[in-house]
Amino acid sequence: MSTTTLTEKPGKPGKSSELGSGRRLLRGLPWLVVRQHRVALACVLGLTVLTALWILYERHELVQLLDAKGWPEKDPGRPMENNRGYNYITSIINGLPLILAVFVGAPLIAGDQENGTAQLVTTQSVTRRQWLIAKLGLAYTLALVSGLVVSALFTWWWKPHRSLFASAWIDGVIFDNTGPVLPAFLLFLTAAGITIGALVRRMLPAMVGAFLFTSVTTLFVWDEVRVRLGSPQMFTYPMDSELPARFNDAYEVDRWVGSADGTLYNWGRCAEATEKATNACIKEHGIVNDVIQYIGYNQMAGMQWLAAGILLAGTVLLTAFTLWWTSRRPL
Amino acid sequence: MADTSTPNATSGNWALEARGLGKRYRRGWALRDCSFRIPAGRICGLVGPNGAGKSTLLGLATRQVQPTIGDLRVFGVPVDDPAVLPQVAFLGQDKPLFKRFTVAETLRMGAELNPGWDAAAAERIVRAGNVPADARVGTLSGGQRTRVAFALAFGKRPDLLLLDEPMSDLDPLARDEMSTLLMAEAVERGTTVVMSSHMLTELEDMCDYLLVVSEGRIRMAGDADALVPAHTLVTGVVRDGSLPPELAAHTIVESRLQGRQFQAMIRPRGPLPADWERAEPSLEEVLLAHLRSPDAPPLYTQGARVDAEGTQAA
Repeated sequence: MSTTTLTEKPGKPGKSSELGSGRRLLRGLPWLVVRQHRVALACVLGLTVLTALWILYERHELVQLLDAKGWPEKDPGRPMENNRGYNYITSIINGLPLILAVFVGAPLIAGDQENGTAQLVTTQSVTRRQWLIAKLGLAYTLALVSGLVVSALFTWWWKPHRSLFASAWIDGVIFDNTGPVLPAFLLFLTAAGITIGALVRRMLPAMVGAFLFTSVTTLFVWDEVRVRLGSPQMFTYPMDSELPARFNDAYEVDRWVGSADGTLYNWGRCAEATEKATNACIKEHGIVNDVIQYIGYNQMAGMQWLAAGILLAGTVLLTAFTLWWTSRRPL
Repeated sequence: MADTSTPNATSGNWALEARGLGKRYRRGWALRDCSFRIPAGRICGLVGPNGAGKSTLLGLATRQVQPTIGDLRVFGVPVDDPAVLPQVAFLGQDKPLFKRFTVAETLRMGAELNPGWDAAAAERIVRAGNVPADARVGTLSGGQRTRVAFALAFGKRPDLLLLDEPMSDLDPLARDEMSTLLMAEAVERGTTVVMSSHMLTELEDMCDYLLVVSEGRIRMAGDADALVPAHTLVTGVVRDGSLPPELAAHTIVESRLQGRQFQAMIRPRGPLPADWERAEPSLEEVLLAHLRSPDAPPLYTQGARVDAEGTQAA
């Protein structure tokens, strides 16, 4: 087939460079979806590469500083506190789900439905399902690649130096952006954006919908889910003694005071106005222990995989729904 | 005369064949009890008022819409079989194209997505209109964009080309250019064309087969050459203030009283009284009469009708 004769005719300068080597690498539907979404693709991949390089640089800086200060034998001070690079990088990473849901997911199908190009493509010799799979494949590949690269590097930066980072491991900025959680999160929110787009069928409302969904999910819902992924444990220690150092990086779920027979009282049970009254209250109830309920750092990996599992299951469900929904309705 | 339109033996000779086809939306039936056939190699006009079900019918034939009931075959193959895809090309009302693609990229899309792509034909159509290959589709004029859409449709080398009001947004010059192009390409390849249109003159010039739809039902189907002579326009004197009883012996499409005269579009079923004035109506008059009277009994020329069970009703 002489499919490219029109574009490769001599005397048309600038034509051949337009798509570069992509002209031969991709064929059929993959070519079409990459060509159609090349701006979004370039933006997200560019942002990913930028973030990756920045993390590499910041980590390099941190390692040099720590070496100079003789860490971990000596106290290096607080290099991660008010660290500008860290703040910018985490802002970008926190923005990734929003970017993917709003600018990649939501317009993916809704844009074609609104412009009629869904009709154009599915009246060529490809079925609607083939086209949808190519579209979803592109969006998910983008989410996965971006998530894996950024998460791997961020984890590599954070994990060996976690004691120096201001945020605790259970905080969203660490928990959601390391290990398998970030790729799973990006996949899930991309799928959510696509589903909203397929339901709304119009680009702008779909993007607004995806924005709201992502905001509510990341700001409110997920915070509630995250702490429920672990199984909290109890630790009892004598009142007036320090909590052992091994609990420094444990997440404290709740705290009580307890009597010798194991009865638990609210932490503020004996918070009286005067020390005398407090002591009387303590004596009255026979309180001798402090009790904490905690989730240890050793649970983090398990919790992250559980989170990733939940998000991936959600992704699968949303994808199945989108495929079913769009195949039974007119495009 | 109607015999020219009835390929016998295999159903592959029928470009489009519907049996009891119906589509119901939430608002109600958009298309109902449609049974008809369109022979291969014809230029078929799809006529009807807005909302009559034309677009639904074309949507069903291009798999954009799934039928609620009934069966639609393209060259004998059920329309939901993916094997139908390469055979059918569709040009929608607003001719959607990727606006940021260049013309060359649009044609490349045709090549990438269609196994039987005819690059030479597509390029010839584009070049004949002096459409620059490196121009973005969004910057083209309406006529140029339609030309690119036509190139995409014909480059597919379809056996059946479906057009939804292809000329509606074109200026007279571009319209003339496009109809010439359409006829030339269709005749050269023997492509079956089904085009919906509001322009009755356009249909009269281009189509040799007609499918008239109104209120979701087929009103007429068959050879344009046979449908029109089946009708007679009669005029006569009213005797006692109502239509003459002799009229009831014929199929009345439309009738009206004007003072002491009546005028009726009928399909004669026997000899007509000698004192009635007879005239052969034009295609436009027949179509308008049918569109104005959706309750008139439908007319099928021989071969155009299939009943829901699949046997041919003569």
